[in-house]
Amino acid sequence: MNIYKPELMVIKDIIDETPDVKTFKLQFKNPEVQKNFNFKAGQFAEYSVFGEGECTFCIASSPTRMDYLECSFKQAGKVTSAMRKLNVGDIIGLRGPYGNNFPIEDMTGKNLIFIAGGIGLAPVRCIIWNALDLRDQFKDITIIYGARTVADLVYKHELREWQSMSGIKTVVTVDPGGETPDWKGDIGFVPTIVEKTAPISENTVAIICGPPIMIKFTLPVLNKLGFKEENIITTLENRMKCGLGKCGRCNVGSVYVCKDGPVFTYSQLKNLPDEY
Amino acid sequence: MELYILSVDNLKKLSEELIKQNWDLISPSEDGAGYQKVVNADKISLNSKAAPTKISFKEYFFPKSEALFYFKQNQNDVELSDPKSADTKTVIFGAKPCDAASLPALEKVFNWDYHDEFFNKRRDNTVIIGLACNYSDEYCFCNSVGLSQNSEKGSDIFLTGQNDGSFLAKIVTQKGKDFVAAFKEFFSQSDAAGLSQPVGDSESPKKEAPAQARKFDYQNIKNWLDKNFANSFWNTAGELCLGCAQCAFVCPTCHCFDIVDENCSLNCGRRAKNWDSCQFSIFTKHTSGHNPRDNQNKRYRQRIMHKFKYYNDKFEEILCTGCGRCSRGCEAGIDIAGILEEIDQLPE
Repeated sequence: MNIYKPELMVIKDIIDETPDVKTFKLQFKNPEVQKNFNFKAGQFAEYSVFGEGECTFCIASSPTRMDYLECSFKQAGKVTSAMRKLNVGDIIGLRGPYGNNFPIEDMTGKNLIFIAGGIGLAPVRCIIWNALDLRDQFKDITIIYGARTVADLVYKHELREWQSMSGIKTVVTVDPGGETPDWKGDIGFVPTIVEKTAPISENTVAIICGPPIMIKFTLPVLNKLGFKEENIITTLENRMKCGLGKCGRCNVGSVYVCKDGPVFTYSQLKNLPDEY
Repeated sequence: MELYILSVDNLKKLSEELIKQNWDLISPSEDGAGYQKVVNADKISLNSKAAPTKISFKEYFFPKSEALFYFKQNQNDVELSDPKSADTKTVIFGAKPCDAASLPALEKVFNWDYHDEFFNKRRDNTVIIGLACNYSDEYCFCNSVGLSQNSEKGSDIFLTGQNDGSFLAKIVTQKGKDFVAAFKEFFSQSDAAGLSQPVGDSESPKKEAPAQARKFDYQNIKNWLDKNFANSFWNTAGELCLGCAQCAFVCPTCHCFDIVDENCSLNCGRRAKNWDSCQFSIFTKHTSGHNPRDNQNKRYRQRIMHKFKYYNDKFEEILCTGCGRCSRGCEAGIDIAGILEEIDQLPE
């Protein structure tokens, strides 16, 4: 088997999330592949635009919703710029799913808090929908999401949906200065909002994804709130090529992020060399 | 233990037969540049006293650039096709022990969970005939990484030169056994009495392989690396390094690669796996500009850590065979044995 050859996927829909972020709704061209494809929340894939190359990001949809696979990407480099130009009906390649996943089995019976910043909501959205679709398996669910400006908030329609759902608490914030005159959400940086929201740490798992600076300042807050390091879960976003543990660029110490990660607990991260 | 004698005459005849049967015959080139395809059996010369070629034989298993698949785009469709499979039967004649030993190490990374058929296919189709080495210079240190000039690791058949110029051929693997069985007319049963001289040096047949001046204790190195990722030793370790990656390209065990699309026209092209190196500054650089290894000292630490700690942690192999190629070829004069000797002397 050629492990480097992608499956072909058809772009079924494109959602403009922000000025530079789009979401693709994808289906495998081959219905057999679509039928047999499985993944777990937190896993990633290699997406290709033929002639431009491959790039790595998470699967942003939930494994409880297998009609489409969704990915959200920010235009940044060569491949994402090419992806941005694609239209509904165009073909992209996909290899995956790769890597480990969020430990959803260990999260049952617990409170969940999801904390995300910017496009960091994409991997968290996958596990949020996964948990919401299995709602009765978890206790309290809290979502805290922030972006630089109102325009930079992704999945806006879903944020509203979560806010209107009973039994979950959803706080959406923008950085000071990023608000619009009609903004009704919170204003403040994510760490501050987490502190203000003060989720209970007892029997709670926190999943946090976003810019390194946000994670850096949120961790001490979670620590202060009494979260145990093994109950704080995040993902590493190292540069990757193969996704298969071979090409040699995503390692942090002896750990290959593509195979041993991308999901790590804070207690695991603390034992890795500071090189990510 | 199965032993045979391969005479000089039979070596030539065997080579002729292999060429006739469309085998690819690969051997160290006379100019010492690398391993080359032999098209004329007269050109085959096995010299145990030759220095390691400038570049290892890695490219016969993991080519510098290799097509992973081809793509063709028309309108709203894309067609993918596999490259022609590398199924030519190949024999590498006279592999240095420090080259042959790289294969069992490389097999691990190319086969954990996901099997890289590109590497495996070539590996499966290739018979490695190693040759005991009778060479040593100021860069060699195979003795310090668990190998020796007589290591059979990675060889299917292992040759040792004899006084009369012939070779004692020891069967090391089933593949080697099958090869000798297939070409048995060229291998004669050895006379057990003549087996005692392992190194073929016609002037002084009993001489052992030359001693190596470079020495360190691998376990010491490993213990130190386990505890000293943040040691100030690394702050200057890569100071001389130009980041050119010749060390990785000549190395028998370095296996980092890039995956890129190469277009042949507007609508077609190939996706290729190309040699890459952790010594390049963009190797780990994110699109955002963030780079976990943002200077050459960190990148040099990665080189040493990967070879002597990480790979060992993961696969129980040292990712170095002590061939010394990286040092011999370094434009900046970085000597890996010297760095390892220095680490060996550092307090834990």
